[in-house]
Amino acid sequence: MSAEPLLRVEDLKTQFFTDAGTVRAVDGISFEVYEGEIVGLVGESGAGKSVASMSLLRLIESPGEIVGGEITYKGETIFGLEEGPDGELREREDMLTNEEVRTRIRGNEIAVIFQDPMESLNPVFTVGSQLREFIELNRDLSNGAARQEAIDMLREVGIPDPEERYEEYPHQFSGGMRQRVLIAMALACEPSLIIADEPTTALDVTVEGQIIDLVDELQQKYDTSFIWVTHDMGVVAEICDRVNVMYLGEIVEQAPVDELFYDTKHPYTDALLDSMPRPDRTVEELDPITGVMPEAISPPSGCRFHPRCPDAREACKRIHPENREVARAEGYPHRAACIKHDVFGSDYEESAPLENGAGADQQLPASAVDSTSTSTSTSTSGESERTDGGEHDE
Amino acid sequence: MGLLRYTAFRVVQAIPVLIGITVITFILANLAPGDPVRLMLQGQEVDQEVIERVERQYGLDRPLHERYVTYMVNLLQGDLGHSIHRDRPVTDLLIQRAGPTLLLVISAYAFALVTAIPLGIIAATRRNEPTDHVSRIVALIGVSTPSFWIGIMLILIFAIQLGWLPSSGLVYPWRSPEHYGYSGYLELAFQTIRHLLLPMVALGTLQMATLMRVERTQMIESLQGEYVKLARAYGVPERTILRKHAFQVAQLPIITIVGLNLSTALGGAVLIEYVFNINGIGRLFLEAIQSLDYQLIMGITIVIGTMFVIGVIITDISYAYIDPRVTYGDRD
Ligand code: SF4
Repeated sequence: MSAEPLLRVEDLKTQFFTDAGTVRAVDGISFEVYEGEIVGLVGESGAGKSVASMSLLRLIESPGEIVGGEITYKGETIFGLEEGPDGELREREDMLTNEEVRTRIRGNEIAVIFQDPMESLNPVFTVGSQLREFIELNRDLSNGAARQEAIDMLREVGIPDPEERYEEYPHQFSGGMRQRVLIAMALACEPSLIIADEPTTALDVTVEGQIIDLVDELQQKYDTSFIWVTHDMGVVAEICDRVNVMYLGEIVEQAPVDELFYDTKHPYTDALLDSMPRPDRTVEELDPITGVMPEAISPPSGCRFHPRCPDAREACKRIHPENREVARAEGYPHRAACIKHDVFGSDYEESAPLENGAGADQQLPASAVDSTSTSTSTSTSGESERTDGGEHDE
Repeated sequence: MGLLRYTAFRVVQAIPVLIGITVITFILANLAPGDPVRLMLQGQEVDQEVIERVERQYGLDRPLHERYVTYMVNLLQGDLGHSIHRDRPVTDLLIQRAGPTLLLVISAYAFALVTAIPLGIIAATRRNEPTDHVSRIVALIGVSTPSFWIGIMLILIFAIQLGWLPSSGLVYPWRSPEHYGYSGYLELAFQTIRHLLLPMVALGTLQMATLMRVERTQMIESLQGEYVKLARAYGVPERTILRKHAFQVAQLPIITIVGLNLSTALGGAVLIEYVFNINGIGRLFLEAIQSLDYQLIMGITIVIGTMFVIGVIITDISYAYIDPRVTYGDRD
């Protein structure tokens, strides 16, 4: 574990101001990415993974906005607030301007690979010209050199006949090949960090395996760090070094990958892992939870997982646990946001088990069905305390 | 290679459509009430024998299918029949009147495109801001106001009230300046534009309004595309995204609208030519209807139908040239 992380995210909050109310898509998450590691960001759709990763590039579109927290990358402040003389929060002096984020961070420092390789490439330009455009923007290369680099990169990601394919349009590529093009784009800009937002979800299992192997190989060769956003624990197991599990805008567990799998500390992570005995099954298929985003408007009181948690007790409805260090492994903290653990010093042990908890079977879907209704009703009336100094939930 | 074959293929495909147009037009024109010979005589009393002789002369006594075959054979040689009423070949009449109509329709389209595309983009980038609302209202008015009414209003304001622009007729740039008694080509060009301005706006407004809304919708959709997100994530400046990444994709449907609306524009031209006293095909069409000149009506209908088909073919082909995703039936 090197001393300084490449990227440090602290208490990041991104909200969407919609007519229906404020959606707290990302609600105070903290994590680090060190050089050369692959960090997973895992959770169901709607957990806020993609919003969190786009916040890192300050690419949140209206009505969304980053409202709090700090993002530091290589010592530069991508986002940071401070209290002004009038007591109002304002952007910090050293925070990069929009123009600086665009020219200094996006692409050349932090690149992205999106989920849908079909839609991510512009249908009316050749693959080569798109690749070259990004290379020219993010690296100091002449026209000809950028073209050569693009062709080399296409070869590097395993595209046969790169000279010819350079001139072709995206529709002439298969899904897997397009995803390879996107990987080539990211690597060609020589960033230190690549955000891969569900890069294999749209692909079939065989191709997914190939892409993961490719990324694994190239990651070691270029020593690039990755943030790997996914809902698939199987993929996490295959590729990630450390993992952050997200639930309703919060990180509920954070640990090195082996530790997470073999010494799970959060019931939600347990449920996710339980839902993956078959490698071809994903969380989404098992748990067709609908309307997750509306839930982020009025999340359940206390622990946000309590309406679905098999271990939930009375205390869980009251106490909103922060993500605390509960153990250490491989020199990294193992954090979990669950008051079961002693470090929270809560009255969990003494409080009565909740309906859905006691004896309920471990499967997510059974408890998920009624979670929507209970969560809205409890949150309106329920007032919750935070473990970090009794701070109240809004 | 593929593109050339595709072009040829589309042209061949159009042949049955064109034949269909001639059949329907021919049948309708011949089934319509009113005996052409009697109409030509305008109520004068003539012997039955004379009528029969005239009918024989024009082949009107033969059965319908025979007459159709004769008509088609002539049509293939560029002969659209003889206008009994005007005693002139229909083809000659059409050629004579085609220039003004083409001038009017093309300039109306040019006006519509030049205004609609920038306005649509501005509306898309300022979505739900005042600019967007104003453009929406303008478009609504443009779509729902008949072009002849716009024409009359323009005449009232700019020709009669303000006296800035002429209210009728066109000056044709293909004639010599001397023909109009102008000092030179500069004045000819100036007068051409002056005369064209009002009818062009009157005819182009509907197209402008339609295209502007389409452009707006397309740009909004395109700007929300994943490829735009990707471009942003790689630090592409917003200007470039607007002008290049989003714009290119958004133009494809515009081409379709332009091609398909050609018939609407020609229909509009009929009324605009009437309002502005322009001697184009549209006016000729109205005159032909008023005088029940069936040969002429048929000729014009076939020409307009053909132009519509050509419009569709040109749309398809240009789409294939511009959009790399269009395949031409054969795969490599
Ligand atoms: S705090 Fe309670 S409800 Fe939340 S995960 Fe832990 S046991 Fe379950």
